[in-house]
Amino acid sequence: MKLGVLMSDFRTGSDVLDRLSAEKLGIIFVGNGIYHATVKEGGKTSPILEKSATYYVLTEDLESRGFTSANVDSRIKPVTYNDMVDLIFNEYEKFIWI
Amino acid sequence: MATKRLCFVIRTLPYKIEGSRLAMTHAIASQTVEIYLEDGDLVEASVCFIADGVLNCLKNQAAMKHYGITSIEQHLKNSLLLDMKVMICKEDLEKFGISEDTIVKDAEDLGGETVAQIVPYSEIQKEMEAVDHLLFC
Repeated sequence: MKLGVLMSDFRTGSDVLDRLSAEKLGIIFVGNGIYHATVKEGGKTSPILEKSATYYVLTEDLESRGFTSANVDSRIKPVTYNDMVDLIFNEYEKFIWI
Repeated sequence: MATKRLCFVIRTLPYKIEGSRLAMTHAIASQTVEIYLEDGDLVEASVCFIADGVLNCLKNQAAMKHYGITSIEQHLKNSLLLDMKVMICKEDLEKFGISEDTIVKDAEDLGGETVAQIVPYSEIQKEMEAVDHLLFC
């Protein structure tokens, strides 16, 4: 299946994500999930970014928290709300929110 | 004739939950309760940022633009404008690789003179021990 995952938390949900597998997996960081895309805790990037997936981060949530696209890890593509709607309708068959 | 000291300790991330916003607004509001107190009685609040809470202190939060709500950055500046004691944990800033120039340390643009203190956790511990009431948010 082509599965999209909206991730909106920083401290929880990674255990669920570890077990998910999909032929095509997309992870979109939204809300407080954006810290996975921006923060290097103890100098290390988020372990979530080691998964075989396509990563996106919502620009509006980045900017609301004081970050810009320049702060985002190179593995992650910043997207707007409009882009996210396109992803939902065109790129993935199913979506979950964790 | 007494001063009650409150310390709000913010340990949660901004926006998804209201913890940090409630801490800031309650700390600011505590400066107005004096009208309900006896003459000479005072309430003095301080705000400390620890753990994930230090991420509330980043500059350039565009919450008004995207969410239509006041940013935590603005609340932080308002508290400094009221000369509130604000302490930010140095170790936690370092843990996230956040440099001092990327966080709100003053409210100079609003005419404020008080500056947030970046201190080791041990100083925040001392503040927690010194106050009458401790509020973790």
